Amino acid sequence: MAPAFICVGLSHKQAPIAVREQLSVTAEALPERLRAFSAVSGVHELFLVSTCNRFELFAIVERGEIGADLVQSLGAAAIPHALVRQGDEALRHLFRVAASLDSMVVGEAQILGQVKDAWARAQETQVSGAQIERVMARVLGSAKRVRTETAIARGAVSISSVAVELAGKALGQLRGATALLVGAGEMAQLAARELQAAGAKELIVVNRSPARAEELAREVGGVAASLTELPALLEKADVCLFSAAVQTPLVTREQMARVVKARRYRPLFLVDLSLPRNVESSVNELENLYVYDLDDLEAVAAQNRELREGELEKAEKIVEEELQAMLRDRRERNAAPVVARLRAQAQAIADAELARTLSQLQGLNEKQEKSVRAMAQAIVNKLLHSPTQQLRAEVAGDKQDLARAAAALFELPEEP
Amino acid sequence: MAAALVHLSLLAYSAAAGCYLTWLVRVSPRLVAAGRALLFVGLLAHVGAFAAAPHVDAPWRGGQLFSLIAAAAVALYLLIDLRSRVPVAGAFVAPLTIAAMVPAHLVHAEAQANAPVLTHSVILPLHVLAATLGSGALLVAFALALLYLGGEKQLKGKQGGRLLARLPSLTLVDQLGWQLTVWSFILLSIVIVTGSFVMHSESGNLLRPDAKELFALLAWALLAGLVQARLVAGWRGRRTAMLVVVGFLLLVGSYVGLLAGSPLGVSVDARNIVSIERAAG
Repeated sequence: MAPAFICVGLSHKQAPIAVREQLSVTAEALPERLRAFSAVSGVHELFLVSTCNRFELFAIVERGEIGADLVQSLGAAAIPHALVRQGDEALRHLFRVAASLDSMVVGEAQILGQVKDAWARAQETQVSGAQIERVMARVLGSAKRVRTETAIARGAVSISSVAVELAGKALGQLRGATALLVGAGEMAQLAARELQAAGAKELIVVNRSPARAEELAREVGGVAASLTELPALLEKADVCLFSAAVQTPLVTREQMARVVKARRYRPLFLVDLSLPRNVESSVNELENLYVYDLDDLEAVAAQNRELREGELEKAEKIVEEELQAMLRDRRERNAAPVVARLRAQAQAIADAELARTLSQLQGLNEKQEKSVRAMAQAIVNKLLHSPTQQLRAEVAGDKQDLARAAAALFELPEEP
Repeated sequence: MAAALVHLSLLAYSAAAGCYLTWLVRVSPRLVAAGRALLFVGLLAHVGAFAAAPHVDAPWRGGQLFSLIAAAAVALYLLIDLRSRVPVAGAFVAPLTIAAMVPAHLVHAEAQANAPVLTHSVILPLHVLAATLGSGALLVAFALALLYLGGEKQLKGKQGGRLLARLPSLTLVDQLGWQLTVWSFILLSIVIVTGSFVMHSESGNLLRPDAKELFALLAWALLAGLVQARLVAGWRGRRTAMLVVVGFLLLVGSYVGLLAGSPLGVSVDARNIVSIERAAG
């Protein structure tokens, strides 16, 4: 029986976080876990995608039923939620996971890296081999096509990432930028992490309570400053994030008009996450200043979510195209042995008959002998042309009847 | 041969414009790659056309100058794109290149340069080279300025949009536009100085009070002001983009003046295809 491709596990779609966190595997424990799964009887190759949203084992096994054994090895908490996918369904799932079509936030960028990493770790642990490698080449190619040919990964969908993305649109790369955080609440903390991830070099935290400003500055590796320094800091910063709880705006149009000149018109991106707002909305009318408040960011996030949804169909089509191409290739490869044996047998008969005939026909010159040989080859080719085509087409359509019939009809030798 | 190459380059530029404009609507890296390749092929054919007509002893004749400017603009854009990857600018530069080549199709092939006396002097070729590169640079800067203004409007308006989604960043567009503006200012300065020499040799005067001279001087003065304002007061962004747009329009005014003042004027005779074709026979 041919080996089967299966997927065993669960994701955010089947299990709550309480279950998923029980399955989570640390990087250190991963090799041991992989070896344990690999030790299950009938498992040839495997790799494990373990993220906060999924715990899924992709494996080449002797037969599909081994999936049930692997479910048992996941542990009691996982058993009621775990799914076993087999054959084309399992492959399709892997293609969709890598292309981020099965993610909680469709189109998110991390999953492709996580899948690649999971495969690399399995290779390092020597539990993944050539069969998975062939599958992964197609899977990664398909995911790349989805990312480049559709807009599914474009546009951030969370408030803080939208803010960072828009700041990038105004300022370019944020690597080396100076970010000013006005307010030291949870929002500021989240945004600080996002800005740091985007490459911001210097984080300055300003708050009415200096103690809290210093605390956050310590947490995010920034420096604390006094609120009285705000005008000077506005001249220095590239991105400002406001989340202070105040009743009147901290930044007025008049004040910012002066700041613009002092900055020599260098662009400044202001994100206002507070309610009531910290920045007068008319500041946005000033040159090279961009002000985005919560509603603006949410509107962009919603627009991006809508855009991604609109691209889903296109992305699914690419995944299906790539999957079908891989399945077709595989089936054609499966057809090759029958065709090869048929042709080898026909060629052997033709060669034997040719040798016998040539030994009987004495006195042929070189040209005549060449013609006889060509005639024998032409007969073999013409007789086998149609059966070869039919066999390839039939096997590519996932039918084996004709292959079996050909083997029986021509008494083809068994595959070595 | 030269005529066929000019047609090939126009065809390639048009196809490139089609690719880039389609890319604005439908994201596909293949469209960008195709646009880039077509622009390159168009440029090679364009340069080939000039090389295939070496006996054209006065490439600054009438329409051929526009053809040179178009080629310079494409070459400059491809260089910028190689360094900074701004395919969205291609959607502006490619159509503008085609627009720059239209006068080459309309101007009578026999339109003469003003100073035949200096045909073999180094001044006139230098004048033409500086005018070609300077105008090409300003054309690309104009495309980038339009891009900046459109992108800035969408970012300020908070509505998003295809243009903003395809933009690298406003700062990068502004910087590239600034670099091109500086180069076009330097080159136009050379154009004006060498033009005065040419004029002096021809008529004894340094300046001729016609539309071409007036618009060229206005464009140069505006660019000078812009460079000064950027260096001294730090002007950038919307106001510099608008000034570049005005500067480019003034330069276009100068070329309209050149055409209107040429001895044979502008011909709309469809048979007068490209001056290079005529010259190449």
